[in-house]
Amino acid sequence: MRAVLWALLLATVPGLAAAQDVLRLFNWNNYITEDSVQRFERGCGCSLEQDYYSDNEEMLAKLAAGASGYDLLVPTGNAVQALIASNQLRPLDHAQIPNLSNIKPEFLNQWFDPGNRYSVPYAYSLTILGYNIEKMKAFEIPVDTWAAIFEPRYLERVKGKVTVLDSQRELFAAALIYLGYSANETSEGRLRAARDLILRAKPYWAAFNAGSYFKELAIGNIWLAHGYSNDFYTAQQDAHGAARPFTIGFTTPKEGAVFALDNLVMHKTGRRPDLAYKFIDYWLQGRASAEITNLIGAGNPNRVAMQWVRPEIAENRNIFPDAARFRRLQSLRDYDPRTRRLLNRLWVEVKVR
Amino acid sequence: MIKLRADTVTRWLVGGPPFLFLVLFFLAPALIMVAASFRYPGEFGGLAPLFGGAPGGESGLTLENYRVFFGDRIYFDIFLKSFGVAAVTTLVCLAMAYPLAVLIARSPKHRRDFMVLLCVLPFASNFLVRVYAWMIMLGPFELLFTKFAVLAAMVYVHLPFMILPLYTNLEKHDPTLLDAAQDLGANAWHRFWRVTFPLSLPGVFAGSALVFIPVLGMFAIPEILGGISDWLVGNMIKESFLGVRDWPFGSMLSLMLTLCVLAIAGAAAWVARRGVARA
Amino acid sequence: MRRLALALEAVAIAALFWCFFAGRARFAMLGAGLALLAAAGALGWRGGRRSMPAFWLWFTSLLVYAFLYIPLAIVVIFSFNDSKLNAEWVGFSLQWYQRLFGDADMLRAAFNSLSIAVGASAIATVLGTMAGIAMHRFRPRLLPFLVFTPVAMPEILLGVSLLIFFLNVAKPALALAGITFDLGLTTVVLAHITFSIGFVAIIVRARLAGMDDSIFEAARDLGATPWRTFRDITLPLILPGVIAGALMAFTLSVDDFVITFFTAGVGTKTLPLQIYTMIKVAVTPEVNAVSALLMLLTLAMILAAARVAPDALRAKA
Repeated sequence: MRAVLWALLLATVPGLAAAQDVLRLFNWNNYITEDSVQRFERGCGCSLEQDYYSDNEEMLAKLAAGASGYDLLVPTGNAVQALIASNQLRPLDHAQIPNLSNIKPEFLNQWFDPGNRYSVPYAYSLTILGYNIEKMKAFEIPVDTWAAIFEPRYLERVKGKVTVLDSQRELFAAALIYLGYSANETSEGRLRAARDLILRAKPYWAAFNAGSYFKELAIGNIWLAHGYSNDFYTAQQDAHGAARPFTIGFTTPKEGAVFALDNLVMHKTGRRPDLAYKFIDYWLQGRASAEITNLIGAGNPNRVAMQWVRPEIAENRNIFPDAARFRRLQSLRDYDPRTRRLLNRLWVEVKVR
Repeated sequence: MIKLRADTVTRWLVGGPPFLFLVLFFLAPALIMVAASFRYPGEFGGLAPLFGGAPGGESGLTLENYRVFFGDRIYFDIFLKSFGVAAVTTLVCLAMAYPLAVLIARSPKHRRDFMVLLCVLPFASNFLVRVYAWMIMLGPFELLFTKFAVLAAMVYVHLPFMILPLYTNLEKHDPTLLDAAQDLGANAWHRFWRVTFPLSLPGVFAGSALVFIPVLGMFAIPEILGGISDWLVGNMIKESFLGVRDWPFGSMLSLMLTLCVLAIAGAAAWVARRGVARA
Repeated sequence: MRRLALALEAVAIAALFWCFFAGRARFAMLGAGLALLAAAGALGWRGGRRSMPAFWLWFTSLLVYAFLYIPLAIVVIFSFNDSKLNAEWVGFSLQWYQRLFGDADMLRAAFNSLSIAVGASAIATVLGTMAGIAMHRFRPRLLPFLVFTPVAMPEILLGVSLLIFFLNVAKPALALAGITFDLGLTTVVLAHITFSIGFVAIIVRARLAGMDDSIFEAARDLGATPWRTFRDITLPLILPGVIAGALMAFTLSVDDFVITFFTAGVGTKTLPLQIYTMIKVAVTPEVNAVSALLMLLTLAMILAAARVAPDALRAKA
């Protein structure tokens, strides 16, 4: 008995003797393929350790809660803005990442980081509508407009089969866009109007769901969802792969949608900036980013990567929007504390009323 | 004399370390949480500084959080809903656990241990897995994202906590009391209601407390299985800390929840004492 | 007659269980199961007035046991499901177990969980035993409150207060001393100890309460120092309780989700946190596989506890 206890105790000690060359990446769930990781590890002779988040707010909250030691993060634009403003990022030495020139010019010099001083584009997604094609046709629901999830006259036909994102900013953005306002609206009156729109539609929704909606869509429990383009692509593939008796489709509503560009940034508390640069340059080469595009349908800002992207994905206008669609897309910007508090109160009302 | 001092020394040596540990890691954090509820949220999360914040920013102490909480009925509603869910869960658990506990208490000794083990085994699975099982089960029956889903999972996760205290209490009951009641002409129902149930009240209270209180703070179950109207206090607190980064507000909510729990525990203890005095 | 009714009930339960594998026929199966259940109840009712209560006790108890075990059985069985979606039974496959053993994140999480559990339960057992003895011998006033409240409070409150404490007090204070302090394994262990002390103390104190105090007085009269009394008399007597408490603390630590969720920071993965991530996003039957294995492990520990300290497990307050 004693021997067992001692053995157990000793077994816990070796936890300290981990690999020496470790790069720590804080990334979205399912945002890099196994092959990409292995190729990188082989190429640099190091090991890549990942931790995951499923929401920018979660990542920022955990960083604010003291998470440290991450070499690389993959925040969306507004999160990059917050990180720069709170002085958490290391400026990038462009000399160490020559492959930056592979990025399509329209994705450089974004509003949150002119000159790409702190970030390089990683991948992007759109927040759009995903649906069960057969069911939408059967119930005659127009899927090219946000009215599909906000108008009771459509919702009553599919009551209980619709989910929306469990994200303050995303849901309010969709409502604001549908009402014709900016996704970054700060006027109290217009935010309240968005809240009212949401509350009017809420009784018809099944749930606020940010994590498992695409799985439920693929299984067939849900017929219409507000979510991310790469999640819908995955649902489409899964449903097809599991030979479900329906097909999943996804469309960018004509009123506009939220565009989220995720970026690689270096966190100040990271211990291996050298490995971090290697990874950034590796990602900018394009093979790895093409692999994730092929796996989950993530939007790819890399010109060189396009040669490896499967044609049916490259031609999908909901993953690679053309210029006309691009004009209708909006990026979310961080709110000031007062508006944030207002939104918090409105969100509680949305959740409780 | 020497023995007295040795006694005090022993007292501090034995009771000291756990006392210090808990003061440091339980009492201090609790008090700090209370203090945090009077602060502003930091620009990017955490707490705003007490003094000398950025110009135009907020710093110092404030009653803002409390003003919002008491100023809007909606927070009272959400607390009420959470208490409702907790109450229903407790009652359902009680109804399900009682027959089983009675059966175990009345079984012959060798079988009793096995039956208790059978009750405790589900506890061996991870809490989230038990929730996940309900996701698999309810999906095909279109019960996912409903109140039923939340309730079923809540009951499922807490049932063993109700069974064990009940059984422990029932096991100590003197069977001759029931025989006497039967001889005096009481039927089965009367025997239960007039004899067994009152004697089991301490077990009932213990089990109810072990179910009611944890349910109040639950967020994982409503989050995974809940629908649009299944947002509870626990979810609001969790979102305050790990969603919207409004720590002071979350601290204030936690304090309110703690006060409610203490009030209920106090009321339960008072009722229990009165019940014991009467019995 | 009664036995027939209970047998019918068993068939009904089997039918209800089969629902989840019946595909399109699931509602029909559900109906059949419920009908059989009603029939079993009716049959039992007809069996005469004698021993009716006993019958109902058995009837409901069987249902409760079924309620407890069907979801677990489904999780385990679906871990062998040859389908990524985990919605319907497709075929038998061991791929998820294979996937599991190649999943570095999961293995690291498992390792972390076990390390934390061993460390936390060891310290919590020591502190909890001390607390239990102190409370029994010296009847202090503040200690019981400090010991029992973490057990009684909703976990989220503990997690949240510890988060604030670690970040807004411990971190700056230690920074002043030149030590960088971050959320991680240490904070999780400390948090787990905090809520485990209470459980150990309850069990130890209950065990002490059931003992005759005169033996301690006899030892003291014979001139034994407190330490010798403890080592030679108290400890052997309460050992089953201590072990039970240790195992309880271990199980609680491995299983803990809420408190770990707040105090782990980000780099620390434990099994429950990993499962949470998987449930929320990349839900494959790999979750089922890891759950099945976890169940096996905890089952082994509980059985070990039952063998080592059979009556200690029953000594609840």
